[in-house]
Amino acid sequence: METSVCCSAVCWTHLETWLQQLEKQEKKRCYCVSMVVTADQSSAVSLKMDLNFLQSLEKEIVLEVLRRDKQLRIIEDDRIRRMKYELQELRRRGAKSFARQYGERTCARCQRPLGRFWNSGDVCRGCSHRICGRCRMGVGTVDWKCTVCHAYREVKIRSGQWFLEEKLKKFPVTTDKNETVGEKLLQTYNVLSHISVVPPTPPPHMDHHFMSRSGSLKNSKPFTKSVEDLMVSFTSHIKRISSSQNDLLVVNDTRKGSRCQYSTQKSLSETDINKPAYLFKGPSLPNLFKKNKDSDQESSSTGAEEETSFCSSDYSGGTRGSNSSLFESISVTGELELALVYNSNTSCLEITVGACRNLSYGNAKKRRCHPYVKLIVLPDESSKMKTRVMKNTTDPVYNETVKCQIERHLLFGKRLQASVWHKGTLRRKVFLGEVLIPLDGWRNEDKASQDFNWYPLCPKGSSPDGGAVEQDGQELMVRVKLSSSNHGV
Amino acid sequence: MSKTRRPLVLQKFVKMASATATYGQKESSDQNFDYMFKILIIGNSSVGKTSFLFRYADDSFTPAFVSTVGIDFKVKTIYRNDKRIKLQIWDTAGQERYRTITTAYYRGAMGFILMYDITNEDSFNAVQDWSTQIKTYSWDNAQVLLVGNKCDMEDERMVSADRGRQLSEHLGFEFFEASAKDNVNVKQTFERLVDIICEKMSESLDAGDPAVTGAKQGPQLTEQPAPPHQDCAC
Repeated sequence: METSVCCSAVCWTHLETWLQQLEKQEKKRCYCVSMVVTADQSSAVSLKMDLNFLQSLEKEIVLEVLRRDKQLRIIEDDRIRRMKYELQELRRRGAKSFARQYGERTCARCQRPLGRFWNSGDVCRGCSHRICGRCRMGVGTVDWKCTVCHAYREVKIRSGQWFLEEKLKKFPVTTDKNETVGEKLLQTYNVLSHISVVPPTPPPHMDHHFMSRSGSLKNSKPFTKSVEDLMVSFTSHIKRISSSQNDLLVVNDTRKGSRCQYSTQKSLSETDINKPAYLFKGPSLPNLFKKNKDSDQESSSTGAEEETSFCSSDYSGGTRGSNSSLFESISVTGELELALVYNSNTSCLEITVGACRNLSYGNAKKRRCHPYVKLIVLPDESSKMKTRVMKNTTDPVYNETVKCQIERHLLFGKRLQASVWHKGTLRRKVFLGEVLIPLDGWRNEDKASQDFNWYPLCPKGSSPDGGAVEQDGQELMVRVKLSSSNHGV
Repeated sequence: MSKTRRPLVLQKFVKMASATATYGQKESSDQNFDYMFKILIIGNSSVGKTSFLFRYADDSFTPAFVSTVGIDFKVKTIYRNDKRIKLQIWDTAGQERYRTITTAYYRGAMGFILMYDITNEDSFNAVQDWSTQIKTYSWDNAQVLLVGNKCDMEDERMVSADRGRQLSEHLGFEFFEASAKDNVNVKQTFERLVDIICEKMSESLDAGDPAVTGAKQGPQLTEQPAPPHQDCAC
């Protein structure tokens, strides 16, 4: 039996008993005891995963596995994101357009008018909307669901969310997610020396897949990609050194502090977020994959941050003060017109904000609204861009193009958050609605997305992709206001 | 026996691991599937977890014992019940010293294969502890199969099939005796586990629906309070 005790914190009694046990067993090939971990068998669920007791070679092996797992997860997240995007599209199609007038009774999905006696539709058991005969899925006359509820269920199955929900029952207040354990480890051990030895190589298949979709081959050289990756890891490392690595969290905290009345609600527990989400939302996948965000932040936030920060520099002066501003919200109505173009010559994402229509009044009492549109490429919170503020209108026309310098492949895993705000007196801001558009699910060859599209505004975080973590407190606030205003109407 | 042998063994393992990494790449980057299930294989050291996985994923078997370092996984896509299901099968180290790493992966696993060695009484006696570990660290709707491995070694059998069955009934798991070496019941074990997870899935969705819809109805009902009976033609 080979034993090499090489750790200072060895619990000798444990080691001895352990060795005795081993000797009792058959002479198995057990080649190392570098340290006996006093396994934390207590009922408290410890999620601490520490590789310090491992030898460097072992560490390498474990990290390699974690890296493979991460690749797999990125692909999986991408699949889920696309699924949710499709669901969002489906919901969007059913949303009422304000250009048209509707009768009292219309199918909630296709907006076809429903009769009183025949073709009267029926109430979907999923969303309790009235649905015409054509927008039903499933078998039998009783056990059917409307198209959206059906798709919602499908997404829930296919994304594995049905299983994740169980977590809430058992670990209601945990902020840790299983997936982030490996993630954290990867972060922790992703030190410089390590990068120089083993640069994280991109999964070639994923790469190919992505490039073929983009159609641009100039970025597809594996060399550039891996150098890029190296830079990403490098910058993330630098960031860690400057201890601003958790800058998302820092932003979070400052906001939390300034709006302390919500801070108690802003626990990261997912039950808090999920419960109110169910309260008023139609079939969307509320805050489904927070882990998405975690991995997004980890995987792809770094590159764009430096590149796009100049866009936000003028912003930060003006509205950083909004941290201390009053934050209100009202019921969300209306639509936002956007066009997205990726210019591969200049590597710019060009977002054109066309107009909004049918917005709620930011100040309902005085029937006033001074709306502006704020654009953020999530999860990188620093790249904020804003349009002008239009005075006294609920149908503002902007026609402003915002350019966001970002490499094509860095769009992978990012979402565009376009939110509409009312700029009130002093520093009061009112949230009027937002649209979340996944930038990787969106295909650039797709001519449709290059033209202007009307996107229905959603309440905070209710888009299938969920809001960023920092909005959770706001999210709750929105909901409270919403339900009360609904009762009022 | 000296300290220097250890790196050699590990290097061998690294080679093995990297080989599987390249092999699994194609499989793992495939997005053409319906579900993805995470499965964890646990049990005492040297009961044959890795061999079991290798037999299932690659249809290969090596009698040499190479202890797993921490964790490893393989990806396999199967076609079952008209669905393409991608399995991420985690192979864990049985050794106590890796326990902190392996237990971190209990969460999120939809299915467990709890394995013991029918020629090793200790590994069977540890099943109860492993089951407690699952209960402690995993989510409640995770499914567990108990597998007695190495059933080809009938001569050295220490744990009868009956005892295995009794224990599995006591714990509420399903039970298989299998052999990674002779490829007995390996595929069946995984397929059964997938089936149980699928059953659990439809069960939890059907049970979960009314709660979700009930909560959702609130504001919508105030918006359009038409009770369903109103529209009845009679």
